[in-house]
Amino acid sequence: MNDWTALAQARGLKIDNRELDRIAGLLRSLEQVFRPLVRDLPHGLDPAITFRANPEDAE
Amino acid sequence: MTLRKAAQALRERRLSSVELTKAALERIDRLNPALNAFLTVLPERALHRAAQADRELAAGKDRGPLQGIPIALKDLFDMRGVHTTAGSLIYQDYIPDRDSAVVEKLEAAGAVILGKLNLHELAYGITSANPHYGAVHNPWNLERIPGGSSGGSGAAVAAEMVFAAMGSDTGGSIRAPAALCGTVGLKPTYGRVSRFGAIPLAFSLDHMGPLAGDVRDTAIVLNTIAGFDPRDSGSARHPVMDYVPEEGCSIRGLRIGFPEMFFFERLDPDVDAAVRGGIARATSLGAEVVPVRLPDMAAVNAVGLVIQLAEATAVMERYLEQRELFGADVLELLDQGRLLPAVDYINAQRLRRGMQNEFHRVWQSVDCLITPATPIPAPRIGETMIRVAGSEENVRAAVTRLMRSWNVLGLPAISIPCGLSATSLPLGLQIVGPPFEESLVLRVAAALEDAGVAIPRCSSRYPNSRRYDRAGAHAAIGK
Repeated sequence: MNDWTALAQARGLKIDNRELDRIAGLLRSLEQVFRPLVRDLPHGLDPAITFRANPEDAE
Repeated sequence: MTLRKAAQALRERRLSSVELTKAALERIDRLNPALNAFLTVLPERALHRAAQADRELAAGKDRGPLQGIPIALKDLFDMRGVHTTAGSLIYQDYIPDRDSAVVEKLEAAGAVILGKLNLHELAYGITSANPHYGAVHNPWNLERIPGGSSGGSGAAVAAEMVFAAMGSDTGGSIRAPAALCGTVGLKPTYGRVSRFGAIPLAFSLDHMGPLAGDVRDTAIVLNTIAGFDPRDSGSARHPVMDYVPEEGCSIRGLRIGFPEMFFFERLDPDVDAAVRGGIARATSLGAEVVPVRLPDMAAVNAVGLVIQLAEATAVMERYLEQRELFGADVLELLDQGRLLPAVDYINAQRLRRGMQNEFHRVWQSVDCLITPATPIPAPRIGETMIRVAGSEENVRAAVTRLMRSWNVLGLPAISIPCGLSATSLPLGLQIVGPPFEESLVLRVAAALEDAGVAIPRCSSRYPNSRRYDRAGAHAAIGK
């Protein structure tokens, strides 16, 4: 799990401590669901956003 | 009066567009002080367009059913020369020098745009309690939220200020106001309606779509706005069709998926009963209701949230040093987005691809799904936590819980009114279909509506609008 408070401080974000605690709590809740999903990702799966060299090829 | 009846009356010269437009403007004058649905009203421009529509119809130039019909737009669609705020201080002085694709198409069809509608700040939330432009109030109960982020659109349609309105939907923002205000709201397939000229919230989740008083009126607007647009990188070349369901359309033999797990857990009992009633009606119409087990929808929602947090902050990051520009709830979301690692965003988009593949299999066993739209009726303005089926839940999380996944998967989803709560608040039933099957989703919705899955019009409860007038002072407090 990420230490969201340390991350915010390392990035120099100007967020007061009470607000930071609240945001860190929300991100921890999200991470609890999200992180296990990532563990099972197959290697060959591309992201759903794909760059097209020729924009006219867009679906 | 429905949009279709108004269109017919215009063609039979029983009404003129100028008369319709004046009546709508008078209604806005009377009701908007209480509802705060409109941010900008354009009377001169609208009356000019209405007169043009009347002249054209008299000369035999028929642009289709939207010609001469008063409508309005969520205030994030660019309209040349008209303030477009996105409900934010960042855009308070923004006057576009171009039209969004949606405005181009609506005006080409002769629609009369009456103005721009209030919304949740930056379309980033579901209460429409805008800290800068005032809260939008639910026409069914002024102390309740209209839902959001297209709250002004839901309120304006429900109060019959306009025949239809445009909204946008990133995690439920068309369907939530439709459900909570008792209108129909359609989120089309991703790529079906151009995003060009709409102020973005999250590029890969944003969908543009209509809200209207009934299913066929909603389909008429979709007919006008659907289609490929090379200016939108996500736009689809998939062919468009006539989306308006025929009168007496049938759903006999259709396989309707009933995903009890996840979608029927933690519901307000009134919602549960009303949506199950709608499903029973589908059975009585000859549809085959099939219990279906879906992929992990909580996981789909989590993936959607990671994507939304990252994309929204990418748009807004350059303004984030000016914290006074943002309301507290929006700032909280934007700050979360600043902390998410890029790797999480990429992996969320990879997971999304996998979920999309997984979901293709669902459509082999059913033709569409029916679920509740929101698990609760409209919460009170200012409420941040709500009790649902015995447990406390954040209002934003609750309202989006059954809708966000369809943005992640890009699937067409509609909310139709299916009943009233014990507190006389509207409840929404959601129909979801495979990609680009808007016509199927609309057909199921129309068949249910024809069979009585509907509610009385909001305005019929307050025909002389005295309730709104009395509440004017209360509404002003929210400004």
